[in-house]
Amino acid sequence: MTSVVSPEWVLKVNQLGKIFGGLSENGLALTGPETGSSKDPVTGAIVAAWNVSFEVAAGEALGVVGESGSGKSTVMRCIAGDQSSSAGSVQIRTSPNEQIDVLSLTPSERRQLRIDKIAVVYQDPAEGLDLNVTAGGNIASPLTAAGWRNFSSIRSRASELLLRTEVPLNRMDDVVKSFSGGMKQRVQLAKALANRPPIVLLDEPTTGLDASVAAGVLDLIRGLLEEFGLAAVVVSHDFSVIEMLTNRCIVMNHGRVVETALTDQLLEDPHHPYSQKLVSAARA
Amino acid sequence: MGYAAARGGLDAIEAAENLVRRKRLNADCDWVTPDQIVGRFRLAVDRVMGEAGLWEEELAAIAIRQAEGDLIEAVHLLRSYRSTLPRFAYSEVTDADELRVIRRIVPAFRNPPGPQLLGRTSDYTGRLLELSSEVAGQEEAQLLASLALTQEQHPSQPSGDQQQQQPRRLLETLREMDLMVDRRRLDDPEPFDITRTPARPPASRSARLSSMSRAETGALVNQWYRNILGPDGYLHEVTLGEVRHGYLPLRIVHPITGNPVAIGNIRVTEVEAIEDLNGIEEERDRFDVGYGICLGHNEKKAIAMANLDIACHRDNGRSQIEQSLLLTTDGLDSSGFLEHLKLPHYVTFRSMMERKNAVRQARKNGQSK
Amino acid sequence: MTTLLNNLIDNNESEQFGILDEYSKREIRRAVLTAVAVPGYQVPFGSREMPVARGWGSGGLQITLAVIGPNDVIKVIDQGDDQGVNAVNLRRLIVQSTKVSETTTAAKSSIVQSRHRIPEDGLDQRHILVLQVPVPEPLRGVERDMRELARMHAEADYSKMWVSLYEDKVRNGVITQTTGYPCLVNDRYVIATTPIPRWDIPKLDHSPFLTLFGAGREKRIYAVPPFTKVEPLTFEDVPFEVEKTEGATCSQCGSNSSFLVEIPGALSRWVCSDTDWCERNLEGNL
Repeated sequence: MTSVVSPEWVLKVNQLGKIFGGLSENGLALTGPETGSSKDPVTGAIVAAWNVSFEVAAGEALGVVGESGSGKSTVMRCIAGDQSSSAGSVQIRTSPNEQIDVLSLTPSERRQLRIDKIAVVYQDPAEGLDLNVTAGGNIASPLTAAGWRNFSSIRSRASELLLRTEVPLNRMDDVVKSFSGGMKQRVQLAKALANRPPIVLLDEPTTGLDASVAAGVLDLIRGLLEEFGLAAVVVSHDFSVIEMLTNRCIVMNHGRVVETALTDQLLEDPHHPYSQKLVSAARA
Repeated sequence: MGYAAARGGLDAIEAAENLVRRKRLNADCDWVTPDQIVGRFRLAVDRVMGEAGLWEEELAAIAIRQAEGDLIEAVHLLRSYRSTLPRFAYSEVTDADELRVIRRIVPAFRNPPGPQLLGRTSDYTGRLLELSSEVAGQEEAQLLASLALTQEQHPSQPSGDQQQQQPRRLLETLREMDLMVDRRRLDDPEPFDITRTPARPPASRSARLSSMSRAETGALVNQWYRNILGPDGYLHEVTLGEVRHGYLPLRIVHPITGNPVAIGNIRVTEVEAIEDLNGIEEERDRFDVGYGICLGHNEKKAIAMANLDIACHRDNGRSQIEQSLLLTTDGLDSSGFLEHLKLPHYVTFRSMMERKNAVRQARKNGQSK
Repeated sequence: MTTLLNNLIDNNESEQFGILDEYSKREIRRAVLTAVAVPGYQVPFGSREMPVARGWGSGGLQITLAVIGPNDVIKVIDQGDDQGVNAVNLRRLIVQSTKVSETTTAAKSSIVQSRHRIPEDGLDQRHILVLQVPVPEPLRGVERDMRELARMHAEADYSKMWVSLYEDKVRNGVITQTTGYPCLVNDRYVIATTPIPRWDIPKLDHSPFLTLFGAGREKRIYAVPPFTKVEPLTFEDVPFEVEKTEGATCSQCGSNSSFLVEIPGALSRWVCSDTDWCERNLEGNL
């Protein structure tokens, strides 16, 4: 397996793995695309992800594509720190002199990273937002965590971000619960960008939205990735999302990476049978 | 000066106390003695001892009398009495298998190992208010005594064979059939002392069991029931493997010889609740068990406790059931805090009034929504 | 064990001083010392059942009885009033069980036990202020899970608190938190200030006296040591406001510089909540 190489990586994932339960001696050989299952037939352990490697540079978006249960969300959660990992390493380089070995950090240090280094946008807005708090208040959360203590500055930063993510400012002081699905995702994006993190992870950011709404949000995301020079990981089962947002991508099946390619190439000429199946299904 | 409404002062307090004392002492009926309370209201006495965490029938009876029948207040009297006493010994660990039963039922089997011993219970007696006179009651008692129908065994006069007194547990049989999950563990060897260290989540199992054992009976029953029909739903109904009431010996190490010596018996209610495992990560081909034990005869409490013990274990920190058990079931905590609302709060209320005006002012100035 | 038995015999020979046995006092003192060493941190302790109910000052009473000595002079107030029913009851318990002398004047006392107020004047380096705490957890309004609360304090992660202040200001135009205003102690831990009124908060900042907070029901002790920074949580551009009613003066002593409480009615009147201060002011004796 060749990993996707990027000379100026900001995020580097190396042989990342996550196993639920105790694996049998040959558990790795007994799982994966060849066996058609991520479940160890002996112990029932689940190899959710194994040997996943990639790098992402600033201003670049990497897609992680696969069906549900393929392990793509597990990879994202292991990077974000929502879940512990079983193997491998995750490194981030936030400046030429600062390189952080993410998986060796304490849970507390990992939470610190989420304030201004790694932002996450979830499929379910309830995971990324406090729905009982106003749009402005949701953005105030990472700002105050980063030490902002001036009410007017917080207000103007929040309105600036909401303006950028196309949330009408007259909704700024409404609780997010009352927002439409697309609007909630826009508030999530505004919150994610609050402290200008170098890395953003997007987990099925438009899944569940109406097609026209999704298109608008995707457009916005593309603009933001470019404007802020973000290193992004986009997890999706939807090729239109991957096509629109990413330059390169990896295809996951039963916890393993089966293909790594430039997004255009993958869509034109998928190599692995599983990728071919996915692409042809998407084209149909 | 008397200008503030809530000012009472020493005179008012003393007058209130005198009124209580006078009414208690001068009631138009006979003074009730502690042995009458122990003899006639044994379940109330047991409940107070259990919730106080202090085994002493006479003191519990005195507390109930002084509290005029308010059992939570009686528990408070006993516990604060105990606060004044130095603790000079910890008892040795007693194996619950030493329990000498005076009542034992096993709902899980028709013919379990050992006896089904109903003992002293009104479970199957019609709930009919007995309106007969005291004289009639005494005559009936004499009749019953002559029939020698009394079932209860006294620990000093053991009757029946070993298997009758200390029956084998249903669990042992189930273990032999390899039907029980084995989760004995070595990392919680010393029982957690909730009177010395506050039990807070995440807590050891012994901390949870101690908290429940001393909890207010009604609170524990409610915790159980709100899981059945209320918003929580963290547990399902268990099958009871054992409900036992009997005597447990208590030993301490002799300060001079260093050997354990028996210093008496306590009466306890013990329950084992068998749980059907169905979780994806659980051993679905086996059962698990919840445990309940409390001072005195209090089956409601021990059953609720056993059910909540296994529910809390299976929850494994996912919900806040453990926090609920540890922090909301103590009768002194909840009723004390409730009643503190009667204390003067005019400083805080003045502050609240001031903020109401501030909000109005802000609204008038268009500073808020 | 043998040692313990002998100690017990010794103890029984001398008369018990202040309800609690010596072991309990020692344990509470240890918690107090930890609290002083880590300002604002809530130290768990094995709270005893006291002759007063949980929620009625049992925590403050335990601290007072653990730190008091025969030469101490006690002042007890509730709402600022020495004659309030709860104050009278607690003072009676303390004095009867320790035989210490009592006073109503803060300056003449050595320990002040209080519910909901800090005396208007008189406290200096010689004093210990013991505050009765009903709810010691300042973050409970924004988080219920105790495991998460422990994490938030450990990591000084108070952003949920800041968001709630932000929301309050947005919704109401002002911060509506009334008493028990959350304060950051020594730039580290956020504490619940008992509930004393906001009026009293500035008195805690760099105060010369030691303040001990006792929560008996929740089994926590925390402290603000002398000369420690105590900062109410508020935004730089949203000034912290104390209770103030324009034009209100005490109908007894005429003061407009003390914390006043209202006597409601058609013609509202105001009086000092600190009754001892009010009397001394009336006598021109401050």
